[in-house]
Amino acid sequence: MGRGPILTRGHRRNAVVLGSGSGSSYKGPILAVVSDRVIGSGSGSASGTLADRLRLGSLTEDGLSYKERFIVRCYEVGINKTATVETIANLLQEVGCNHAQSVGFSTDGFATTPTMRKLHLIWVTARMHIEIYKYPAWSDVIEIETWCQGEGRIGTRRDWILKDHATGQVIGRATSKWVMMNEDTRRLQKVSDDVRDEYLVYCPREPRLAIPEENSSSLRRIPKLEDPADHSKLGLVPRRADLDMNQHVNNVTYIGWVLESLPQEIIDSHELQTITLDYRRECQHDDIVDSLTSVEPVEDAEAVSKIQGTNGSIAATENNEDLRQFLHLLRVSGDGLEINRGRTEWRKKHAR
Amino acid sequence: MVATAATSAFIPVPSPSAPDPGFKPKKLANLGGMKSKLTSSGGLQVKANAQAPPKINGSSVSLTTPVETVKHEVEMSSSSSSSPPPRTFINTLPDWSMLLAAITTIFLAAEKQWMMLDWKPRRPDMDMLIDPFGLGRIVQDGFVFRQNFSIRSYEIGADRTASIETMMNHLQETALNHVKTAGLLGDGFGSTPEMCKKNLIWVVARMQVVVDRYPTWGDVVQVDTSVGPSGKNGMRRNWLVRDYKTGEILTRASSVWVMMNKKTRKLSKIPEEVRGEIEPYFLDSDPVVEEDSRKLQKLDDNTADYVRTGLAPRWSDLDVNQHVNNVKYIGWILESAPLKILESHELAAMTLEYRRECGRDSVLQSLTAVSSNGVGNLASLADIECQHLLRLEDGAEIVRGRTVWRPKYAENFGTFGQLPAESA
Repeated sequence: MGRGPILTRGHRRNAVVLGSGSGSSYKGPILAVVSDRVIGSGSGSASGTLADRLRLGSLTEDGLSYKERFIVRCYEVGINKTATVETIANLLQEVGCNHAQSVGFSTDGFATTPTMRKLHLIWVTARMHIEIYKYPAWSDVIEIETWCQGEGRIGTRRDWILKDHATGQVIGRATSKWVMMNEDTRRLQKVSDDVRDEYLVYCPREPRLAIPEENSSSLRRIPKLEDPADHSKLGLVPRRADLDMNQHVNNVTYIGWVLESLPQEIIDSHELQTITLDYRRECQHDDIVDSLTSVEPVEDAEAVSKIQGTNGSIAATENNEDLRQFLHLLRVSGDGLEINRGRTEWRKKHAR
Repeated sequence: MVATAATSAFIPVPSPSAPDPGFKPKKLANLGGMKSKLTSSGGLQVKANAQAPPKINGSSVSLTTPVETVKHEVEMSSSSSSSPPPRTFINTLPDWSMLLAAITTIFLAAEKQWMMLDWKPRRPDMDMLIDPFGLGRIVQDGFVFRQNFSIRSYEIGADRTASIETMMNHLQETALNHVKTAGLLGDGFGSTPEMCKKNLIWVVARMQVVVDRYPTWGDVVQVDTSVGPSGKNGMRRNWLVRDYKTGEILTRASSVWVMMNKKTRKLSKIPEEVRGEIEPYFLDSDPVVEEDSRKLQKLDDNTADYVRTGLAPRWSDLDVNQHVNNVKYIGWILESAPLKILESHELAAMTLEYRRECGRDSVLQSLTAVSSNGVGNLASLADIECQHLLRLEDGAEIVRGRTVWRPKYAENFGTFGQLPAESA
């Protein structure tokens, strides 16, 4: 079977966690633990505000993750008649915020713990990685489960699993890495023990990865693409709607900008399968941004076989046109300062 | 007390008839029954009778103006039904202008109470059973489609309230779901089966939105929508957006649609077969928004105060036909609105005339002229009105608009000139 993406069918119960026992070090492959127990909204809890009961999401019974259902709305659907990747990214952000709020963290969009707020510390995204196997269509209901855990000394990570609510099929997975920054000085800071203790209470004890494969592209380094780029779109400007509550360009806008410099033929013939973004510098509302794209040769057979789910046979490289891979760079227009680096993987569209 | 006796003459007597929510068919409006009684402290209380609404003899009250004027007075008093009347009312008699003001206040407060009355006690669990995912459902004898939305974190603007684009997106979503649930969705978005056969599509010609209060993250809004005729060959769609918890009306909107042949791009009369499909769903109701029939001017480089160029559609702005989604225009229109206005004021009303569509390769310019800013400068506490134009670089008009802005936190200003206790 190999180490293809984890697919869960409808009624698997009590999935087993393999790998190292109770210990803090992650030794071997660990299957993602996916709970199939459906958490109904307002599931038996008499307490909770009206908003909580109306909200289609709640903490799971063990309190270590959060699940919420979303309907895809018509204006979230793009040219493919399916939800856009920005819509997916927005929903991941939404469910992350709702998780943080449900465990009592701040509701200002930053999910800060009390100690962090005292010290003027906020989380900022360092890396975002989204894989989508099947895009949902208008009025589909998707269920997203999310949880967070510590990541070494300097950061935290948040993972998501997306499922089609009707079928229970996993339609996507995502993982993100966050670091702590002082919001006044804008300097990064180590996660101190008291902050870590505050939020680790809500994290799974055992490492739980949405994308546990060791050769996952979520772990691969993204090189800086070389000048000159194959394609570019220059002079992108933040719109008012791109700014978050603090006048910074919100994370999801960068995804749109990355896609702007892709050639039309790719958009017409392929579907975005994976996007990985490294966030390097914040973008302000008055910055002008250039978006650059270059083809990344899918050279090593292992990478190809991972994409196709085979086990490294050379014959797999024959089907290269079905899979395309690109490197991206977003930089400030004048001085060329790097804002983001990215990699995208695309699969050929099938006739619907 | 003289005052009480005088006002009691105006208090209508309840009569047993069924209340009607939201979109009212054209007949006498109903007011919630009310009794007034003195509290022990001497204040007047207005208590709504939950039984049945009475009729006011001879007068019809439409939804429009009372809501807007009620806002400032009643909001000031308090949001509950027991609100102390203006102090001067009790202490000076007889002062007929104050008496009239008091009567008006009570009348309007009662109307506000009534509008919350059709808000039956909610059982969220029941709603969850009927409509667990908020897909929406038909109500009011098949004429109105209702759907709930919870405001998501990414729909919030810089001032922590839902953006106008979010509100408009919800309107668009309910419109489509209405058509779909009524079984009228042919191929594509919004065309009925007969329309598809004839290559006809609906095109929005005009849109008016009035926002009384913007919801914030986590709020749930309930959107009701219905359609009716507009002239001989148009269709009007109305929306009412309420706060799900309190029933307070947050937004009212109305749009006019015309039919166009999608191949020839020429306007078309409504064919009989289409009329047969849609007329059963028409609700000829009172307008939800006061018609803004003032002509919208066309701005140019000389008359505009602010211009923003180089606006280009992104992939996420396009609908399935690779045309720019209507709601995106609003964001572009606001791109050239001066930051000063956006910081001190919030969008209270908007009128849009859609002239031309644009696609992926268009590059647009957004022009704004401030047409009236009350007395004094932009920072004054008065409403501001702006004119807008969205056009292509070659001058072809996409949308004309007019916006009205009110100072933020306006409802915290009392009639006694009190300053807001705290700004959000």
